[in-house]
Amino acid sequence: MSDPREIGRPSGSLAAPDGILPAGTYEPEVLPAGLTRAPVGVNALATEHLIVNMGPQHPSTHGVLRVLIELDGEEVKAGEASVGYLHRGIEKLAESRRYSAVGTLMDRGDYISGIHNEMAFALAAEKLIDVEAPRRANWLRSLMAEINRIASHLVWYGPMGLDTGAMGPFLYAMRDREVLLDILEDVTGQRMMFNYVRPGGVLADITPAAEKKIRVFLETFDQYLDEHIEILAGNEIFQARMRGIGVIDRERAVGFALTGANLRASGLSFDVRKDRPYAAYSELDFSIPVAQEGDCFARFMVRMEEMRQSVRMIRQCIDGLPEGEFTAKVPKVLRPPAGEAYGAVESPRGELGVHLISDGSDTPYRMRYRPPALYALQVGESLLPGVLLADAVVILGSTDIVLGEIDR
Amino acid sequence: MLPDVTVTRRILDGVGITASVEEVAILGVVCRVSAEQARTALRAFRDSDLAFTFMVDLFGVDTGEAIDVVYHLRSLARDEELFVKAEHAYDSALTSVWKVFPAAHFPERECAELFGLKLADHPNPQRLLTTDGVPPLLRKSVRLRGPEEVRNR
Repeated sequence: MSDPREIGRPSGSLAAPDGILPAGTYEPEVLPAGLTRAPVGVNALATEHLIVNMGPQHPSTHGVLRVLIELDGEEVKAGEASVGYLHRGIEKLAESRRYSAVGTLMDRGDYISGIHNEMAFALAAEKLIDVEAPRRANWLRSLMAEINRIASHLVWYGPMGLDTGAMGPFLYAMRDREVLLDILEDVTGQRMMFNYVRPGGVLADITPAAEKKIRVFLETFDQYLDEHIEILAGNEIFQARMRGIGVIDRERAVGFALTGANLRASGLSFDVRKDRPYAAYSELDFSIPVAQEGDCFARFMVRMEEMRQSVRMIRQCIDGLPEGEFTAKVPKVLRPPAGEAYGAVESPRGELGVHLISDGSDTPYRMRYRPPALYALQVGESLLPGVLLADAVVILGSTDIVLGEIDR
Repeated sequence: MLPDVTVTRRILDGVGITASVEEVAILGVVCRVSAEQARTALRAFRDSDLAFTFMVDLFGVDTGEAIDVVYHLRSLARDEELFVKAEHAYDSALTSVWKVFPAAHFPERECAELFGLKLADHPNPQRLLTTDGVPPLLRKSVRLRGPEEVRNR
């Protein structure tokens, strides 16, 4: 049998050199929201266009996204995303919470990757109060973040199969995610809303039981990951649904401020973990998968390869976890001096940033949550004109959007 | 990481904008332009040698006197970041920059509705997150709990 790692891999990519910048800038010519019904009558020999609502309760909208789609038969003429069904006002609520309580709000933004959200806030707050987390805390942050990243990518991988008509991968993805959530529960006490990463360090040290579970996970997951890739990427139908669909070129990716795997699938290698190192990433050995094609399949392969890199990092973290404190000495009530700070992390969906403004009081004056999925949704919307309805589902799925983060 | 302050100022001088450019502690280089000049300045930064082609984020801040609209720019070629702030009076118009940075489309809609600004030159000047009748939530004058809610507790 051929090496499953090579099945379906885009030829000659995923390890491309970085630094290839777009040749020009992307300037849109068509208005982003262009829903127009085709004229009806004897003079117009066109079919009447049908405007349908996809969502907010559609299984392939990954949350509660509503997309207004203008259809000419099977072909999408235009699409307009309508969001806000999950708006909870996280940015407003943060303005009346103490710094120690904002972490719980951040968890509820992108609910699939809580560790990353908390970390973005903690990094911004640490810059303001000028505290550095101890080395062990940084390693624990990286360890938990990578475990969370795999769990998040699995939640993307399963539904990606569902979007293309494969039921099986979802079940296998949930099987593996369960192990990861158990580990996270052992360490943080929660399966989803962790509130684990705090300004100054982390909530708790790793437990011996969790360490054992991580080692068991590491023994099995490499093989499982090969199987995951083989099941979908080795499938001819899946490849036909993904290859050449929803191509995002470099200019468009930069113009729409794409980050994360979506940007790297278009041939640009910006990754916050490498370019603005935080936590323990400057000490870890890992590589950034980059693909050149920019289509749905490239995004799929980049994310699968990212999981492999995450496994590498988890292994390094668990073997090389330094001794020491897991949190710095930080006052119970933080009162940062007046100022502004921007902290960013590489969340599974891209660059998740927190722009924090302090006026010297014990609550943030303004907290801006930069949602990477919001920018990914815009590019998904811009790709809709001209594709088939079935491909629209795949395109939206491949950009890995989480509506909790878009709506905040 | 940080762009040169004098080079940044020279780019603005080139398009006839006199603005304050300064290095702010912790954050980085911040450039203040007027609301009318924001789009010209952003286009100049994008097409300049510094190549700020990537708009990381766009958001508003209620300073108590006006709305500061913050454009967070990044140059992938030179790995530098720049913050451009444009002061908008309450209830004034936010001129869209979506033709310069297509990424601004949704964030501008969000910023306008949450800070009570009007959208000018925008392809789809509608609310993004909330429905009609919701007050500009992120203004400091809008309290977290409305009077009705407090009374009914």
